[in-house]
Amino acid sequence: MKIKRIYKSTIFLKSIFVVSIFAIFFISAVTYKHISILNSSSKWVNHSYDVNLELERLFSYLKDSETGQRGFLITKDSTFLKPYIDSKQKIHQSFDLVKTYTKNNPDQEKNLRKLEFYISKRQNYLSATLHMSYTKPLSDQVLKEKLSIGKETMDSIRTQINEMILLEKKLLKNREINYTDTIKVTPIFVYITLLITLLLILISYIRISKDLDKLKISNNSLAVMNESNNLAEIVGNFGSWQLNLDTKQYTFSDNSYRLLGFQPHSFFASHENFMKHIHPEDIVSFRTANEQMLVHGYLAPFTYRAIRKDKKIRYFRTTGRIIPNKSGNEILIGTTSDVTDEVLVSLSLEQQNLELEASNKELLAFNYVASHDLQEPLRKIQTFVSRLSDKEYDNLSDSGKEFMSRINNSVERMRILIDDLLQYSRTTKLEKVFEETDLNDLLENAKSDSQQAIEEKKAVIINEKLPTIMVIPFQIQQLFANLIGNSLKYSKENVAPKIKISCKKVIAAEEEHIPKNTKERFYKITFKDNGIGFEQEYSEKIFVLFNRLHNKNEYAGTGIGLAICKKIVENHKGFIIAEAKPNAGATFTVYLPEENS
Amino acid sequence: MDKDYIHIILADDDEDDRMLFTDAFGELRINTKVNTFNDGVELMDYLNAPDSILPNVLFLDLNMPKKNGIECLYEIKQDARFNDIAIAIFSTSSSEEHIEETFVQGANIYIKKPSDFTTLKKVLSDVVTLNWQYHTSGLNRDNFLLRL
Repeated sequence: MKIKRIYKSTIFLKSIFVVSIFAIFFISAVTYKHISILNSSSKWVNHSYDVNLELERLFSYLKDSETGQRGFLITKDSTFLKPYIDSKQKIHQSFDLVKTYTKNNPDQEKNLRKLEFYISKRQNYLSATLHMSYTKPLSDQVLKEKLSIGKETMDSIRTQINEMILLEKKLLKNREINYTDTIKVTPIFVYITLLITLLLILISYIRISKDLDKLKISNNSLAVMNESNNLAEIVGNFGSWQLNLDTKQYTFSDNSYRLLGFQPHSFFASHENFMKHIHPEDIVSFRTANEQMLVHGYLAPFTYRAIRKDKKIRYFRTTGRIIPNKSGNEILIGTTSDVTDEVLVSLSLEQQNLELEASNKELLAFNYVASHDLQEPLRKIQTFVSRLSDKEYDNLSDSGKEFMSRINNSVERMRILIDDLLQYSRTTKLEKVFEETDLNDLLENAKSDSQQAIEEKKAVIINEKLPTIMVIPFQIQQLFANLIGNSLKYSKENVAPKIKISCKKVIAAEEEHIPKNTKERFYKITFKDNGIGFEQEYSEKIFVLFNRLHNKNEYAGTGIGLAICKKIVENHKGFIIAEAKPNAGATFTVYLPEENS
Repeated sequence: MDKDYIHIILADDDEDDRMLFTDAFGELRINTKVNTFNDGVELMDYLNAPDSILPNVLFLDLNMPKKNGIECLYEIKQDARFNDIAIAIFSTSSSEEHIEETFVQGANIYIKKPSDFTTLKKVLSDVVTLNWQYHTSGLNRDNFLLRL
């Protein structure tokens, strides 16, 4: 925006400059013309004076010659003839001068011809009269006549000369009027132009100083920004660089040098000089990335190793893209940051993750193998004990029979333990295959698994319709079986167990037992029984592996069943909670997400 | 059946299991001939011999040294000569993977080794007297595992 305004202002200033130059040219042209007019007008004035002066002079010479002639005629003294003879020559000269002066002026030339005629007429008369007086003395009559003729001619000459002087004066006056007009208009015009030019220059001066101020301000803020950028680069451990694609010139920021362990600008900014610091193993990929960047106009963040001045290996991440600048050049701008810490942390995290995964797998495998392999000797013990009691029972004493039955019980309990452990480790196994399953089917299967106990205890199980969702089928069936089995096991003595299974769709936000940031919709499936219940304070403990609330003599169990339930529900990204009161039944609530993948 | 007895073979590396197996058949009132092999290699050597008498029912333990039950099952199913042998998997394990894999490989029934002798006898009796043709035609993933 600012740049645009300054740019506009440049155009404005340029046009003012051009206009001013034209105005100055115009003013000088006008002034030149004006001066030359003045010059010629003074020339004309001089000229007119010269003409008039010469005419006067001519007239005075004529008078001189007449005076001389008259003197001679009267006195017959030949000394009077001298001025006459002198003037003859002078008249001639003077006339020629006037003739040259009045050249190119037709009116004056015409007058001059008349004058010439009168002058020659007069000279002829003078010489004729003189000639006559030489030969014989002139009578008064004749003299008078001759003199009056002389006077007549002289009058004509005077008139003629006066006319010429008048004409010349008139001409001068006309010219003067003409020049005054021109001279009067031009100064005003020049003055106005000068004023306008001055005004324009003043405006441009104001504009320039304003622009300079703006430039200073933006220069200042640029300097501030530059400095804060420098600081940011130091704090953020990154550097920026530019490549002018037309001139192939690189610019590295100060911190770009520091990243490599160098003082700012301690080497020439070029691709080759930067490449020198790249880890030999990463040079090829760096080069490829560079070429890709030039082709596509951008560089996706790319990580490589660089070797610092102190020979330490650092991880750098570079990204960049091409932007066109105002001058029409293409500039590649980029950022390089030192991500060594990040990379090292993520590497060690990755390593830890791998280790964790491995140890987890090992643990699972151990668990599985242990319980699986334990089964074999146990099965044999059971089989041989069963053979023993089949074949040798009668040979045993009473206490022997008692021991036999205790061995049997212990072995049976161990078998159940191992079975449950195996079951638990299977639920923890990593591969989980979700299938779209009708939960009603799974519930029916679970019921039939417990059919014997249901019949024995005359239990009643009623259930609402369950949905069809994505689940790991055998696990959910196990979950249902375990929950039903649990209710059947912890039923009140002499009271037929009653299990009510209900189901409804709920919104996560509205359920207090569902933590935040989970899926949105859940199916809430509750198993409510009329059994012995338990103290609410144990509601979480019962889900922990091997945790039991009752002595195993009262209620058989391994403490694994509910742990399996919890594991299964967790596998489905769901939640299980228990609510109970002693002797008032227990309610297990399972939340399963509506959508699972 | 042209023979007057049922020929049964068991491949199992566990000596106790082999003993219990033969004892069980000894106590059953079925006319059977039982052969046992210590591992998969022994079994396959016997079966592959040109003059071998092929069994009616073959019981395969899964976890055996040298050549395990799955490998044996695979080899047997590759050879058309063994098409008529009913194959019962006889294992301690009842893991889903094993059941799944042996079913896919073409075993006829899966038996989890019972933990008392009476049940063992019952299972073995049931298996050898099973109408294999009927069982095999209606064989599916659910009735593959013999439920005790």
